[in-house]
This record gives sequence, structure tokens and C-alpha cells, in this order.
Amino acid sequence: MIRGYAGRVLDVDLAARTFAFQPLDEDIARLYLGGKGYGARLLYDMTPAGIDPLGPANPLIFATGPLNGSVAPQSNRFAVVCKSPLTGAIGNAACGGSFALGMKRAGIDVLVIRRQSAAPVRLEIDGDRSEVLFLDASDLWGKGTYATQEILGRKKHHAVIGPAGEHMVLYAGIVSSERIAGRTGVGAVMGSKRLKAITARGSRKLEMDDEQAFQQYTKWVREMFRGHPVLGERLKRYGTAGIVSTTNPRNILPTRNFKYGHHPDALNVSGEYMEDHELKGVRSSCIHCPVTCGRDVEVEGVGRVKGPEYETVALLGPNLEMLNLKQVAQWNYLADDLGMDTISLGTVLGFAMELQERGLLQAGIRFGDATGISELIKDIAYRRGLGADLAVGVKRMSEKYGGHAFAMHVKGLELSAYDPRGSFAQGVEYATTNRGGCHVQGASMYMESVGPLTINPQNLKLKADLPMVLQNLACAINSMVLCIFTTYGMIPGFIHNTSPNSFGHRLLTTLFENSGPLLRVAIRQKLAPVFWFEKWLTYITGETTTAGHLQEIGARIFNLERMYNLREGLTAGDDTLPLRMLHEPTFAHMTSGHPLHQLLPRYYALRGWDSQGVPAARTLERLRVKV
Amino acid sequence: MSVTVELTYDMSQALGVRRFDVDGVRTVRDILRLTRERFGDRGEEFETLTRVTAVAVNGVLVNHRQGLRTALADGDTVMFLKAAAGG
Repeated sequence: MIRGYAGRVLDVDLAARTFAFQPLDEDIARLYLGGKGYGARLLYDMTPAGIDPLGPANPLIFATGPLNGSVAPQSNRFAVVCKSPLTGAIGNAACGGSFALGMKRAGIDVLVIRRQSAAPVRLEIDGDRSEVLFLDASDLWGKGTYATQEILGRKKHHAVIGPAGEHMVLYAGIVSSERIAGRTGVGAVMGSKRLKAITARGSRKLEMDDEQAFQQYTKWVREMFRGHPVLGERLKRYGTAGIVSTTNPRNILPTRNFKYGHHPDALNVSGEYMEDHELKGVRSSCIHCPVTCGRDVEVEGVGRVKGPEYETVALLGPNLEMLNLKQVAQWNYLADDLGMDTISLGTVLGFAMELQERGLLQAGIRFGDATGISELIKDIAYRRGLGADLAVGVKRMSEKYGGHAFAMHVKGLELSAYDPRGSFAQGVEYATTNRGGCHVQGASMYMESVGPLTINPQNLKLKADLPMVLQNLACAINSMVLCIFTTYGMIPGFIHNTSPNSFGHRLLTTLFENSGPLLRVAIRQKLAPVFWFEKWLTYITGETTTAGHLQEIGARIFNLERMYNLREGLTAGDDTLPLRMLHEPTFAHMTSGHPLHQLLPRYYALRGWDSQGVPAARTLERLRVKV
Repeated sequence: MSVTVELTYDMSQALGVRRFDVDGVRTVRDILRLTRERFGDRGEEFETLTRVTAVAVNGVLVNHRQGLRTALADGDTVMFLKAAAGG
């Protein structure tokens, strides 16, 4: 068995209440690593096209990676993979929390949940005894994610759903500790199986090829992250909510259902405001992470709970024209406890408000007015009244009520909180990412607009190359399974401390903007590991891994996901942006929106796809993608 | 000609205002000069805070274009933001 893996896949049949421990497929592990890559391979092979995402044929796959169980920063995460009930495309979501550690200690790399239970059930996995208990969960059904974990034992490692998952809200998530695998409705699939919670325990230790070198190198990385201007200072001090201060001046902060990119009072919901005022946060982190980007905040009537992240702040804040951080924190707590994705929730509410404003829906909610929102969030989770209509996401709402021109989704997944009209590479990434409108499948916005490299985010230079390279890297990282923040360290600290107005910085950004061909050559190199992702994999698995290997693995995963989506009937027509993003300018110098039509053909060509976005046979052959 | 200046959080804490209008400026650099005059000692602090700073005019980053020499028009909004702001 390759080092870094426990070597076991646990296959659970909820209908028959049986389980089997099977050996991990080493070939798949070498080709797809773990996490969402391994999960995508299993999903493609296990299921035919056209299955009902909420039916028994849709497996729910939990997958760890070779770094899980180590002390590498930002490494204790798991991925969940299934067919998405929200998009009908491939669904996946990643989560911090503690469940990945529980799985790995139980000696499980991958957990496959098949079919459906007739009654509410929870699983207790004892890896040391190779035993799975199917326990009645009737007493937990209806309880929130916090209460459920409290009852099951705070110190154990759980993955649970809340009422939103039980009622199959199409953007329900799976919660572990205070973190959530939020996107694409993985919680609804768990709810469809009547599976309330999974607890995993064991005492297995991660085996590495060269533990001494790994520990020594990781110590250096940890210190480097601690001293990094973004990872060690900015995110540590202000949390991700500090990003408001970056996106708002750049005119890419979603405001009023993405109509605008700037709100004059956005500082009221910024991380800096949170740090200074009544919501003053205590830092919290995932296991072994030195960044501590999480905030603990006081919520009235509840106590100290996880504070809102940037996406939540932006989409439940300025996107609804709500500039009250206390209120946003309350809604965030409510959504987490009910177990639903706050990105989709904020976009759904913004869409409903605009429908109301245009007389297309009588929702009783208005921009800038908190009245009725808390009750509506609960109604969504329980699918009561109007809440039932909002529980299906923006795409289906627009099919019922109209408003396609301002329905903010890609492939049915609600858009994240970076307006692509001021971040062109991010727009290409949104349009082409296999799970839909998401920002952590490449995070192009960091390199082109919100990070320290002040390149022009609104010309065409590098805007097709960058998303492809970063999507590949993110596919590999999300399969290891690492946090996307590990990529932020790739821009050295000294660049952050140079004035953007200086000659050196401008020269650097000009070179970067024009580096497309060089970048594509550089990332193919397989000479030696350079960055931490590569070195960690090398030290743990014993198999030399370089940037070129990671690009190849990432491209393989991305193309497999693409083939899954094509098999499900998606086409190049689904590689698009919301009409508002394409046609409504938000900058004075723009006459239209995002120039996607100019960038997509080049992106397809770089990917080795034909003009219809179908991977060429030679591309699949080169990447060893079997379909 | 009047231009609105919007500040980052730490800059606004230093100056005691979140935004203000300035008249008679032609470039972004003029804003630094006038701010120093208007806010006295605190203006020096403001200038220090803007030393490693990206500048956006109406939401468009200008550092890779004309930087502090960027010409301004009546009604423009100039926003400062820290380069190392994270993402």
C-alpha cells in the first residue's frame, strides 16, 4: 500500500444494513490521489447516467487524502462527492472540522454510503474493531447540527445533517464541528438516505515514507505561514471577513443581488469592524492550522459560536443591503444549525428580494430590511410555505417565477461573492468549473484581483490560462485534501510589502500578465518538488511529486468531472455566466459585462477540448482518463 | 472639481472619518497632499498608511496604469486599499 493511505474503503449499504471493508484501489489513488478526485472516479464508475440524485442509486462518498491525519497545516479536511440534487451535475463539497481525522484514525480512506434507510439512522464506525453499528436516530431527527453533535459527544468526530438536510433542501450541507461541506446539496443526499450522523473513531496512525523529513519541512512551512502577510497576519487578525475591505474598493463585492459591486457602508460588516466592536472575535481554526481564519462571536440568546465567513458576510450582508453584522451573525448561526449553505442561501434571498421588487413574487422581504428573514430561513429548512419554493435554489425559482436576467447561478449553483465583471479570470473559472459557480475550484480572483499582484483584472491577458492552471492545481489540492488557502503562500511575503506604485511591482505584474506561454511550460516541469504540496506528497508517499505531476493529476480529475457532466447531458451552453454578469456593466468604462465569449474558445483550446467543449480523445488518452 | 475619497478601515480610524470630499485635485497624488494639509498630524499617519497601498478610481485599480499620477474627473470616487488584503 502507498504510504499516506490507510488502505481501506468502507462500503455501507443502508437498505440492507450491511457493510464491507475493501482494499483501497492503489491505481485510483495514484491517478486521482483521494478526496474529490477519488470520489469522482468512483461516482463515474458506480452509476449510470440520469440517476435521481435524491434516489437510492446516488451514492454518497466521503473521501480523505494522503495528508489527512498528518500535522501539515490546513490538511484535516474531507470531501463529499455525489450527483448534485441542486445542479444535476457532479456534486462535491469539502469541509474542515474533525471528521477527516476520525476517518483516518479509523483506518478508512473512503466511505461509500449506498441506497437508503427506511427510518432515521446513524452510523458509528469503530475502525479498530472493523465494525459499523447502525443505530436508531429517531430521537435526533429534527435536531440542529449543534445539538446533534452535543448529544453524540463533543469530543468525537462526526459528520451530521440538520433539518435542512432532513427536508432535502437542495443546498443543504453536512456539518463537522462548526464547519460545513456546504456546496451542491450534499446534505440533501444524506437526508434522502435518512442518515442523520456518522461518527468515526480508531487509533490508526498515519504512516509516512520519510517522517523525519516531513516533520522538519512542515515546521518550516508552519513558520513561513505564520510570517506571511496574508496567512499569518491579515487572515489571522481579521478572518476571512477582512476580505470585504478588499473586494468593496475593487467594485466586486456583491451588492443588491449582484446589481452593484460596491456598498458605501460595507466597512460595517468588515472583519476589521468585527475585530473592533461588539462581535470581537476569538480566533478559531481547523486542526493543525496556524492561520486561524475563523472567528468566534457572541450571538444574542445563543452564546459564543462560529462567526460569519467572508462569503456569508457578503451574501447575507451587502447583497441583501444588510449592513448589520450582529444580524448577519445571527442568520449565519441559524443557517449552520439548520445545516444549509450560506452562499446559496444569501443568493436565493437576494434573488427573492429582487423578484419581490419587480412584482414577480410576493415574498414579503425587501432589500435593507431584516423583517421576516429569520422566519423565512427556518421555513426554507422545513420547506414550509414560501420556504419550499426557496429551498430549490435560484435556477428552479427562476423557472417558476421568471427573472432569468438576474438569476445568479452557474449550472444551477449559486454564485460566490466575487463579481466577475471586475475579475475576468474568476468569471472564466465560474463558467467552466464542473460543480458550477464556485470560487474555491481555482480561486483565480486571488491571483488577479484581491491578492497582492495588482494586475489588470479587466483585460484578456492571462484570463484563460490562469483559470485552467489554478483549476488543475485546486483539483489536486482538493483531492489531497488541503484548504485552498495553502496556495496563497505561493506569492512570497516580500511582494506583499512592495508598493503597488513602485517600478518593481509594476514590472513584476506586467511580466506576470504576459507570462501565459511561460506559465504553461513551467507548470509542466517534473524536475523537482518546489512547493509544499509537492514536498508533502513526496515525503509521505515516497513517490516524487512535482508541479508537473500535480497539474497532470488535476487536469485528469477536471476532465473526468467534465466527462461526468457531459454524460449527464450538460453542454458548452452551460459554460456561461448569469445574464446580469454578461450584459450589465458595473464600471464606468465598460459598455457591457464580462467578455466570456472572447475567452471561452481560448480556454477550450488550452484544455485540449473541441469547440463544443468536449475533451478530445487524445486529451483523455494523454491524461489517462478512462471513460 | 470635487472628488470623494473612501478609506480603508485602519485609515478611517486614523483620520476619524470614513469618507470625505476634496476639491481642486487633478491627480491621485494631489489627494495625498491635500489630505496632509486637511488632517494635520493625522495626515502624516494617513500618508504612512497609504505607502503600501493599491488605489482604485471608481473601482478600477490604477496602480498598473498611471498609479498616483492618474488624472481625476469631477465626481470620481478614489478608494485606497491594502495590497496585502487577502482573499
